[in-house]
Amino acid sequence: MQKTLTVFQSQTRAGEAPSPGRSQWAQTAVEAAPLVLIIDDERELRTAVGAALIVAGMQTREAETGRAGVKLAAHENPDLILLDLGLPDCRGIDVCGELRSWTSSPIIALSARHAELDKVAMLRAGADDYVSKPFGMTELIARVEAQLRRARTPHRDLPAVFDVDDLHIDMALGIVSRNADPIRLTRTEWGIFRTLVQWAGRPVPHQEMFNAVWGRQFGNPSQYLRVYVTHLRRKIERDVSTPRVIITEPGIGYRLGSD
Amino acid sequence: MLALATVTLVQLRGDIEQSHAALVLLLVVLGGSASGGRALGYILATLGFLLIDYFFQAPYGLLSVGKALDWVLLAAFLASAFVATELLARAKEEADTARARTEEVASLSRLGSATLKHARAEDGLHEAGSLIRSTLGAQWCTIRQVNGSLRDTGWTSTADAADDTSLARQRILEAQIVGRVAAGLDEREVALAVAGGDVSIVSIDSYAGHDAVEALGLPLYAESRLVGVLIVGGDTSASIVFDAARRRFMATIAYYAALGLERVRLAQEAGEAHALREANRMKDEVLATVSHDLRTPLTTIKVLAQAAGLRGDPAAGIIEEQADRLARMVTNVLDLSTIRAGSLHLEIGLNTAEDVIAAAVSQVQGRLLGRRIVTTFDLDERELIARFDFVQTLRILGNLLDNAMRYTPPGGAVEIDASRDGPWLAIRILDVGPGVAEAERTRIFEAFYRPKSQAPDGGAAGLGLSIAQRLAEVQEGSVAYAPRPGGGSIFTLRLPAVDWDPTLLEDM
Repeated sequence: MQKTLTVFQSQTRAGEAPSPGRSQWAQTAVEAAPLVLIIDDERELRTAVGAALIVAGMQTREAETGRAGVKLAAHENPDLILLDLGLPDCRGIDVCGELRSWTSSPIIALSARHAELDKVAMLRAGADDYVSKPFGMTELIARVEAQLRRARTPHRDLPAVFDVDDLHIDMALGIVSRNADPIRLTRTEWGIFRTLVQWAGRPVPHQEMFNAVWGRQFGNPSQYLRVYVTHLRRKIERDVSTPRVIITEPGIGYRLGSD
Repeated sequence: MLALATVTLVQLRGDIEQSHAALVLLLVVLGGSASGGRALGYILATLGFLLIDYFFQAPYGLLSVGKALDWVLLAAFLASAFVATELLARAKEEADTARARTEEVASLSRLGSATLKHARAEDGLHEAGSLIRSTLGAQWCTIRQVNGSLRDTGWTSTADAADDTSLARQRILEAQIVGRVAAGLDEREVALAVAGGDVSIVSIDSYAGHDAVEALGLPLYAESRLVGVLIVGGDTSASIVFDAARRRFMATIAYYAALGLERVRLAQEAGEAHALREANRMKDEVLATVSHDLRTPLTTIKVLAQAAGLRGDPAAGIIEEQADRLARMVTNVLDLSTIRAGSLHLEIGLNTAEDVIAAAVSQVQGRLLGRRIVTTFDLDERELIARFDFVQTLRILGNLLDNAMRYTPPGGAVEIDASRDGPWLAIRILDVGPGVAEAERTRIFEAFYRPKSQAPDGGAAGLGLSIAQRLAEVQEGSVAYAPRPGGGSIFTLRLPAVDWDPTLLEDM
């Protein structure tokens, strides 16, 4: 976990103007606790989650409706937003799009629905991650911390060199190695891997993966995505039955493991 | 006219020749036949013939012919008059026919546009009914829909009789004719209700109108299927004469009315489909709301329990565990209703056994409670590919793993492996529990069934296996039970396997 943190922070080059929300956290992290905005219509849930986040060393603000949430976000500029999908006044996806139009702070969707399509739509609308209700606090805090650590990495800021699990990756040279032994990846496999890295641990929906690896062409390759990933896992995972590098997000896609 | 011309000409008899008189009289005959028709023309011609002979040929005042040349004049007059009369009459008849045709075409096009121009199909049919009534000169017109079985009459459009007495009579006649049509009526037949109360059937080709007819019914066919009946009636219906043109008109009317009825039926079906879609959407919405409303408080309970656990409350772990169980039950009940409602969303595609098994194992990781899951993949073999929905298959494996763990004591292991079995990908979940008694082996897949050999920790909702089996079936797969040699159970999920084809993967 610590290793990943170092790598992702090293991407911010010296002298570059930092982007607002993200770098503010990076700069103030040492002195101030990160501010988390909770948008959910259930008061009890807001209180319980808020208390747990405070125990975990964060500050919280709460909003009961989507409108109040957007307003509060504009006012307080939170470091992270927890957004319930089942708000009474507006659709979660609209709130997400609205927030994303002016803030780069990570958004984690809280979903009580079963439908994976909703989650994919949220990710497309700019959410960084989602947690399904009922979630445990351990799980939620892990996701929150992971998001706070990660920048929404723009493509130009791809890390040059970093480690995942026991893999060492050199993005510039396109080399993946374990214990200094290079692992030979095919062009398609490297395309999949690079896309996962570009998304910086956020879930990559299938369609986005298709587009990134195969372009917008139609035809056979894309339907073999799962076969490619399975094959890739056999090359890079230590144990294919418990993957740690490429994590399956059921019904949504894949994401790069980080911890 | 003839008399006037004759009197005038008689006065001038001394100054003119008889041929002049003949020409003038011929003019009168032509005028007569043009205005009065063929019969008048022939009568005038004959009269003219006699008048010429009597007044203008010597000897005057007698019907006898003096000179042979006079015969020539008389014959020429008669022939010219007859031929001219005949030609005029024929021209007039043709003009009449042409006018009737024009009228027919015009009323049919009115009918056509009446059936189709209205936004609401019912309005179109209603106007068509009024148009048919006025075109045929009937007092009332009814177009009635018949669905499938003829007795089941559906939608009706009527251009009703004006007064109550006629209306009452109209209803009786309608009922009679519909009843007769229900007994069977062919496309080229027409049902006639006569004054005595009988309904007779005649072929439309042989019917030419009948005095006693009060109403007549025409079966309406669309695509060789009886869709309705067109009934026209009233006192004047007796005078509806069925000549060739009328028959043609009736056949076309029937066609348009059938078309109009079909349009009404399609509109109704579209409305029903819309209502059905709406109901489905509402059902999905209710399921989503219920799901949200149940899961949110469970989240609160879990979060609070964890907080209590951090403060050292020994009950916290149990509360959290029970909340998780409740959440799984909620999911199961919702899944079952979704499957039963047929509104399950499936995304069938190529997937691998390794991917879905790894995801399933990772999902139950949090509730192992000291048990182990042992996964076996043969990495020397090609990846096992099958065609299935990833999410639903994950649910199946999750339920099968939960079931296996329920019968596995802490410290014990549940095994899971995958292999190719003919046309199937077979994923097996093996436990070392007590197994399932012979008599219960088919019943364990029933919803809410709880085996007598219930595991000591109990509390299973009895839905997991039932859901697993149904989810497998909708993906054209199956879940089967087999006793494990040496004790325990083997549940096998079979899904349609896909052959490995290296050419399909460009650069593996």
